[in-house]
Amino acid sequence: MNKTELIQQINENLAEEFEVDIETISPDAPLMSTLDLDSLDLVDMVVLVEQNFKFTPKATDFKGIVTFQDFYDFIGNKMNGQ
Amino acid sequence: MDNNNNKAWTGKTRGGTFGYRFFIFLIDKLGIRFAYIFLAFVVIYFIPFAPKATSASWWYARNILRKNRIQSFGFLFKNYYRFGQTLIDKVAISSGNKEQYKFIFDNSYPRFLEILNEGKGAILVGAHVGNWEIGAPFFDKYGEKMHIAMLDAEYQKIKEMLEQYSQNRNYNVFPLDETDGLANIFQVKAILDRNEYICFQGDRFLGNTQTAKVDFLDKKARFPIGPFLLASRLQVPVIFYFSMRNKKMTYKFHFHIAQTVPKVSKSKPEILLLTQYTKELEKIVKKYPEQWFNYYRFWG
Repeated sequence: MNKTELIQQINENLAEEFEVDIETISPDAPLMSTLDLDSLDLVDMVVLVEQNFKFTPKATDFKGIVTFQDFYDFIGNKMNGQ
Repeated sequence: MDNNNNKAWTGKTRGGTFGYRFFIFLIDKLGIRFAYIFLAFVVIYFIPFAPKATSASWWYARNILRKNRIQSFGFLFKNYYRFGQTLIDKVAISSGNKEQYKFIFDNSYPRFLEILNEGKGAILVGAHVGNWEIGAPFFDKYGEKMHIAMLDAEYQKIKEMLEQYSQNRNYNVFPLDETDGLANIFQVKAILDRNEYICFQGDRFLGNTQTAKVDFLDKKARFPIGPFLLASRLQVPVIFYFSMRNKKMTYKFHFHIAQTVPKVSKSKPEILLLTQYTKELEKIVKKYPEQWFNYYRFWG
């Protein structure tokens, strides 16, 4: 899966799980407020990552994620074993 | 769902370790029944000198139980007395007097054990009614996998007492970090991923906790949504567990296995679970009204 395909898959997963219009998702947009998430909703995010990308994020992983781009980078790096 | 910012419960439990120490001394030297007799005097002291708790108990008697003023005054005594008895029982049992009590289990107990043995983890949800810790000796081999979630402020206060006087605390305490909800979520998930069990009190929350307002005993009340949201998202079995004091030093353990709610339910699955919980809690409170131990304004 190349980078564009990965971003496409992430956007589709997020739009479906959190019931937002995929058009509202852009790399610079803030992740939490765009998806209307609070810390408790992050459990959905963890399950989403586990089911679609086959690894379990840690609490600390989310602390540096502000925008969708941060999230793409985080998933991409994990998928590449970094 | 709401983020409740009203001042509700502060996370601290009244009373200090002196009270526990004193009652341990009484139980040790004069026996449990003498401690019960002495308790009556303590209750008489508490009615005027714990005005916030007394006011909450009075409100509950008048507005929820619909008792008249005279009945409500009698209820205050019974409510405090029963609370004191459960504390004495807790201390007595944890300091080696278990054989003086009788314990009975409801019909769902075998199913409860089956669920624990299924190896999927489980969420137990109790409440501040009766005396849930009394069941701890029966956690048996499951105890080492059992994690009791407790707000950190509450835990710190009773930690010393637990460590000093509980002979065999066969379960783990999981202190919830009030400043880092995210860390709590991940820790709970880690416990469940190891196929272990986490126990919450489903009726207690701090001011910044996400809550939902639902009907409870004919009035609206707020409940924390976290335990139910985690259970519905992580698709683990949920058991409502209450341990209630009956006559003649007997405790009855009640278990209710919650119905599974679909993860993609149109009605929010956590609310469906919460509603199941409040219905079971209502049944318990109606049966044991004097064992409701939330001493702050719960409704509204």
